[in-house]
Amino acid sequence: MLYWSLKTLLSEPIRLIASAMAVAVSFVLVIFFSAVFEGESNQMVVYLEKMDADVWVMQKGVSNMHMASSMVWDWKADRIAQIKGVKAVSAILYLNGPVNIGGKDWFSYIIGVSPEYSHAGPWSVIQGKSLPDTGEVVIPDVISRLTGVQIGENVILIDRPLRVVGLSRGTFSMASSVVFVSREDLGDLLEAGDQYSYIMVYADPDVTAQYLIERIEDEVDKVNALSNGEFIESDRQLALQMGAEIISMMTILGTIMATLIVAFTAYSVIARKKQELAIARALGFGNGQIYMAVLYQSVAITLLGLLLAMGCAFTLLAWLPSVIPQIILTVGFNQFIPLVVVSLPVAIMASLAAAYTVTRLDPMIVFSGQ
Amino acid sequence: MSAEVILQANNITKCFGRDASEVRAVDDVSLKIRRGEMVLIMGPSGSGKTTLLSILGALLSPTAGSVIVCGTDISAMKESELAALRAQKVGFVFQAFNLFEALTVKENILFPASLTAQGIKGATARLDALLDKLGLNERQNALPSTLSGGEKQRVAIARAMINQPPIILADEPTGNLDSHKGQEVMMILHDIARDDDCAVLMVTHDPRVEEIADRVLWLEDGSLRDRKSELHSWVLDPVCGMRVDEWTATVYTEFENRKVVFCSTRCLERFNEEPEFYGDRIDPK
Ligand SMILES: Nc1ncnc2c1ncn2[C@@H]1O[C@H](COP(=O)(O)OP(=O)(O)OP(=O)(O)O)[C@@H](O)[C@H]1O
Ligand SMILES: [Mg+2]
Repeated sequence: MLYWSLKTLLSEPIRLIASAMAVAVSFVLVIFFSAVFEGESNQMVVYLEKMDADVWVMQKGVSNMHMASSMVWDWKADRIAQIKGVKAVSAILYLNGPVNIGGKDWFSYIIGVSPEYSHAGPWSVIQGKSLPDTGEVVIPDVISRLTGVQIGENVILIDRPLRVVGLSRGTFSMASSVVFVSREDLGDLLEAGDQYSYIMVYADPDVTAQYLIERIEDEVDKVNALSNGEFIESDRQLALQMGAEIISMMTILGTIMATLIVAFTAYSVIARKKQELAIARALGFGNGQIYMAVLYQSVAITLLGLLLAMGCAFTLLAWLPSVIPQIILTVGFNQFIPLVVVSLPVAIMASLAAAYTVTRLDPMIVFSGQ
Repeated sequence: MSAEVILQANNITKCFGRDASEVRAVDDVSLKIRRGEMVLIMGPSGSGKTTLLSILGALLSPTAGSVIVCGTDISAMKESELAALRAQKVGFVFQAFNLFEALTVKENILFPASLTAQGIKGATARLDALLDKLGLNERQNALPSTLSGGEKQRVAIARAMINQPPIILADEPTGNLDSHKGQEVMMILHDIARDDDCAVLMVTHDPRVEEIADRVLWLEDGSLRDRKSELHSWVLDPVCGMRVDEWTATVYTEFENRKVVFCSTRCLERFNEEPEFYGDRIDPK
């Protein structure tokens, strides 16, 4: 009977592929939404991740970067640098706000970089220079491509025109890009020339982040110190809360749609073979064997669909960003797990429902010549 | 004649529907079939022949009465036991052949063998014998869609025989075949009854089979009746010239305000291709 299942499926390869494609398309849809979701939420914390600090120090009461503002006296950076166990520090001034590029406001993480802490600047520049001087700015290459604003042209930060001197890679996100300006310009705008927003602390090899956090909070007044992991996690959570609801709604809708398509496909594949299943029953195959045969088919189709979907998803991942640069996709195997968990039982249920109708069928249909 | 009674029906009745719309498809039918017998069930369309066959083959349970297969009353059996009984004791042959389209001739024939204790492996010797006997050796790896109607029905018969059931039930096995191929299939079934000591119970409209059958059961409105042979109304099929009973024939058409009957759908199709040509050959009776 299992042999029948397999041969029957394979005897109509076009139909098999079509069924698997239907399943695959619905899966790709879901994967696409969740890839956008994953990609975006990763991109929201990309700056923090790239800095790779051990400890982040900020104004007391502040524990985020996203949608937050923090001010710390600049001498505190020197103070922290002298703590035993600190290998190096780096510091930035920071503002979360819009930058007008090519006539459009781009909501951004605006990083004010000072020459002494050049590590805090862009990590990959594909054109121009990486450290902006006074009156200069480094913007994401994606925004340059989208707006046509080139090196040498001006963008506007609040009321101040800044000249683009560099294009950075990996700094774009739909919700919040990373734009680099000079600390001087940003300090001027914020009237905070003697302040930093965040101080990144790098530990000596044998020193733990936890130890440094305690030392910093002991020795420096009115600051909050967080380990890198904690800080990134709390920012990611915040970012997710803000923009993710729509996308997660779409993911849920997509999953429901995928489920319906899977159910329909499994049901129709089995329903088409009703007559043969009824014959098998007449020949003495029990209901259990009929159910197994049907199960085998729908699981095969669903898995094949999943495989196709994976192929499509990874191809999409490689190809789509070059066509639509503003979309950041992240596809991982962990996105397939909920799909399998949801769709396989659904496919099984649908095909069992189809098989059930076979076992309830008027046994005399085997005598009628279709 | 004292061969073992292999199939017995005691006062079986089958009703479909309820109350006003109730149909008594089979009405108080009792019969006994012995090993080695070839028995025909004949009767007008809608008289309950297929329903009776389904009940005797353990596919359908009767509303009342009991069926005894090989000495066992099957009325109280569970679905799984009935399935096992069908696999071991009953071979079905259908008008529509009902082969599995994706499987080859060989695989189709072996399909029910997986239900036996010896499995497919234990059936290969019987497969070879059946392929030989039914002249299917050359076609054993062909797919059903490439076979002629006669070949398909021979495959179906081989499939019905692979588990060596003592009972073969056939519902109009020649209905989709031309008269020559139909004759061939009839003879095969006849030989099975004689050589393999099977009970062959066949529904047919083909009066020619009466000559080779041991008994004819006449079903009318769900009950068995005696039928005198004078009740035949013989006419000749205008295409093949075969003798057909005008009263029981199921294949017929209207031509120049007359009812024209045929032995099979094949003959009807040929008639429809050239009605003028065959029109002259209509039996004037
Ligand atoms: N599942 C069903 N539900 C209701 N009525 C049914 C059902 N199956 C058969 N019948 C009725 O039972 C009667 C007998 O049908 P059956 O198919 O047994 O006749 P038959 O003698 O095989 O006819 P034919 O020669 O046309 O094949 C018919 O009146 C038919 O309409
Ligand atoms: Mg019938």
